[in-house]
Amino acid sequence: MTGLAPDVQREELVETTTTVNGEPITVAVPPRLHVADFLRQHLGLTGTHVGCEQGACGMCTVVVDGEAVKSCLMFAVQLDGRNVQTVESLAEDDQLNPLQQAFKDEHALQCGFCSPGFLMTATALANQGGCPSREEIREEIAGVLCRCTGYENIVTAIERWFAESPQRAVDDDATGLTTPTGPSTTGRRR
Amino acid sequence: MTTLERPSVADDTGPAPRPGGIGASVPRKEDDRLLRGDGRFTDDVEPARVLHMAVARCPYPHARIVRVDATAARALDGVKHVLTGPDVRAATEPLTVLRPVPGAPQLPYYALAQDVATHEGQPVVSVVATSRHVAEDALELLDIEYEPLPHVVDVLAALEPGAPVLHPSVLDSNLMAANSDGSGDPEARMREAALVVEDQFRINRVTALPMETRAVVAEWRPGARELTVHASTQVPHLIRKQLAASLRLQESDVRAVASDVGGGFGLKLGVFPEDVLACLHAMALRRPVKWVEDRAEHFRASTHARESVHDFRIAADADGRIMAMTDVYATDMGGWNSPFGSAQLSSVVMNGPYRVEHGYAERRVTLTNKTPIGAYRGYGQPEVNFAYELLMDRLARRLDLDPVELRAMNMVKAADLPWKNPTGAVYDSGDYEKCLRMAAEAIGWDAHRAAGRTPRADGRLMGIGFSSFVERTGYASARFLARRGSQFGAHESVTLRANRSGGLDLYTGVSTMGQSSETAFAQVISDVFGIDYDAVRVHAGDTGASPLNTGAFASRTMIAAAGALKAASEELAEKTLRLAAWRLESDAALLEITGSVVRRRDDETVQVSLAEVFTSAITGQGIPPGEEPGMESTSHFEPSDAAYSFGTAAALVSVDPGTGEFTVERFVLVHDAGTVVNQKIVDGQVRGALAQGFGAALTEELRYDPDTGQLVNGSMVDYFVPTAADLPPIELLHTSVPSPVTTFGLRGVGEAGTIPPGAAVANGICDALADFGVELNTLPITAESIWRALSRRAVQDDHEGTLAPTPGDLPDGGTGY
Repeated sequence: MTGLAPDVQREELVETTTTVNGEPITVAVPPRLHVADFLRQHLGLTGTHVGCEQGACGMCTVVVDGEAVKSCLMFAVQLDGRNVQTVESLAEDDQLNPLQQAFKDEHALQCGFCSPGFLMTATALANQGGCPSREEIREEIAGVLCRCTGYENIVTAIERWFAESPQRAVDDDATGLTTPTGPSTTGRRR
Repeated sequence: MTTLERPSVADDTGPAPRPGGIGASVPRKEDDRLLRGDGRFTDDVEPARVLHMAVARCPYPHARIVRVDATAARALDGVKHVLTGPDVRAATEPLTVLRPVPGAPQLPYYALAQDVATHEGQPVVSVVATSRHVAEDALELLDIEYEPLPHVVDVLAALEPGAPVLHPSVLDSNLMAANSDGSGDPEARMREAALVVEDQFRINRVTALPMETRAVVAEWRPGARELTVHASTQVPHLIRKQLAASLRLQESDVRAVASDVGGGFGLKLGVFPEDVLACLHAMALRRPVKWVEDRAEHFRASTHARESVHDFRIAADADGRIMAMTDVYATDMGGWNSPFGSAQLSSVVMNGPYRVEHGYAERRVTLTNKTPIGAYRGYGQPEVNFAYELLMDRLARRLDLDPVELRAMNMVKAADLPWKNPTGAVYDSGDYEKCLRMAAEAIGWDAHRAAGRTPRADGRLMGIGFSSFVERTGYASARFLARRGSQFGAHESVTLRANRSGGLDLYTGVSTMGQSSETAFAQVISDVFGIDYDAVRVHAGDTGASPLNTGAFASRTMIAAAGALKAASEELAEKTLRLAAWRLESDAALLEITGSVVRRRDDETVQVSLAEVFTSAITGQGIPPGEEPGMESTSHFEPSDAAYSFGTAAALVSVDPGTGEFTVERFVLVHDAGTVVNQKIVDGQVRGALAQGFGAALTEELRYDPDTGQLVNGSMVDYFVPTAADLPPIELLHTSVPSPVTTFGLRGVGEAGTIPPGAAVANGICDALADFGVELNTLPITAESIWRALSRRAVQDDHEGTLAPTPGDLPDGGTGY
């Protein structure tokens, strides 16, 4: 699916206009290309990983219009007119954002293959507003698998990120829909 | 203090750790890139003009390949190359095995099936095309005629006379080899014993399931004779050797690179067929070829683990003192011998932490028509722990003894270590009873035992179960490995090189797969050398830029690498001090390295930067007469013996005696990893391994249909690894007894957590249901299995005549593990 090779198999392409990490993009894509492959192979955004292509492992989770989406279950053509946010958008001014920093401080990753999935799931969770309990966090992130950490530190990192973000705790209306390109609802910066 | 005189062992009473040094909890080197999506996993490597491979796989458990017609596939637009069995046979040697089964013949196994395939998922044809989509379209156009052959998937059935034989050209039966070890006269002790407890324990087939599947990108430059292979592997230097052997290349022709690896857990140890195939295609096409395993392939064509049937016996006197232990077990190998084969440690630690003078272990390595068995975190230790720890509790119940006191009485005492167990393992040091007592206290054992078995308000009964264990970490020695035909050493090697920015670059063949070796290695260097932790950069996993090492497995990386890191750091520190003394016109003995400078200990204003000293060494300008230029050291280190970690887990469970439903309410693990380099990382390793242990104990099981020989639950939606919502509350406690056999007193830590969950939970359930006479012997533990045990509780277990014979009745059990 490396569309740039001159001898690539010709498939009927579909023009799609979307916004990825704040950048408007118009691109012609094969109809059977899923979003994870589109992000990785067409845009070079390899932070989104592919683990099962069955919607079960959560490695490929990205945020589409403010909600967590398993990007292996969505075709690239379905992105037309929508906003996509990937892990590459999180760092601010070349610094980890507070959520990423909480993951680092709490040792919430080991091999790191699943980390983008958890980061984007948590980012979308914040868009729902409120401050979830530890048990709610466990349930909310259960759609992403991790085989290294045993999850405890991931839950702690997300819990801490929520706790340390005062405006999120009081801003129940935050949806993220108006600011799809950056975690403006993610509270204080470091 | 000079760097050379630093006390090497940190413990609870020692000085506070140096910032960034051994014992400090520092930010991980690996984290920033991984959190920002800037990791470089194999699928992230995308050379220009890369082609993509897809593999046609045998859909049957056992089949003769009658005919392969790839004409239509070859004709598909975009298809560049097709390989079939004869092509591979002509161009390659069979795949090699890194950790052979002693006494077993080599199975002729090529990257594509030759005539007969022995498991579902075995590669039969490979296709390379301009995209994975096109390559998979081409697979649909292949015309492959199979003749299904009789198959066998049950490990005991495979050993029966008349079972279909998988490899008749080299074996008369499916028994690849039997390996036995032991000492004393366990048979005589069994006859004398007041009591023998015994059972047949069935251990489930599971898989490591790293979140990143296997992956390979191969590039060949014929003019340069250079094959560059990016692979998701734990052992770049070992796959370099294996690829060269299979591809008929010199090792110098191959460069293997593993940058970020998305989890390994033993599964990614060595070369798989697809690695060889991608290389063959790349060499034929002179274009890069990529293959990323999809998850359906992963479930059928990587490796599985653990499946075994243990016939275990413990003989004891009337006071509960163990007189003998025996374990005769059949361990599944699957359809062929994967690079690390079947687990060997059930024999090595067959007696766990208990003093047993008369013991015998026999491993019967058995071929079945299933996905091959490979290494998986624990490598035989969780399996055997389940058997001996369940029997320890049964022994306590039969003798009406406190299971904690029974364990304490039988444990090897701290003062008796080092001690050699019946199968030859030398336990180095430790205080096993202390961990047991701490676990009993933390879980509230005394109060539970005093309270008796009254149901909770919801009708559930409470039980507490223990599991005590030892874990072998590292290898006894290269000599130990040589006796078993292993194709690697027990050492690690590092190259430490200064740079002109004042930092140190560390080059290692240990790939980064989540074990935090970049961080821990830098901590050791910082500690020994005295340089800032942030000024150490670790370059990992490239055989073209690292000394030839062993690799990341067997909980051995740190205990072996620490010695090499220390030696290299000391050598460079000495030279740095000599060069600085020359520049400062001082005596080297008066200087110390701290942070980014070398300075006089008695006058900190007299100092020179490391950047300046390193630059002088690298340029050879301004160094003392007689000094060689350069600031680089390659060091190797082999520990004097394996180090044995140890611990005790305690599980508090509640069980509904009507339905068998149960909940693990609390889980305590007391664990000793010797001297700890980074507590946060150690805890992370332990928690992660516990999660895998809980999965294997409670929810994970790969099931094969005996009639069709098909894997029936080979997908992420059908195979249940724990999610964040599934794990019980876990409490970690530690002791810290330095090991005498490793640098700094370290013990390995990667695998311990996989060992005790199954036994601790099962023992808790049996404790809760003791009044019902429930005994468990099968993993995974499910509500159904408990309900069935409740249903048959009136039936007295009697294994007379059904277990494997006792050792005295056995023929020669073959060579040792």
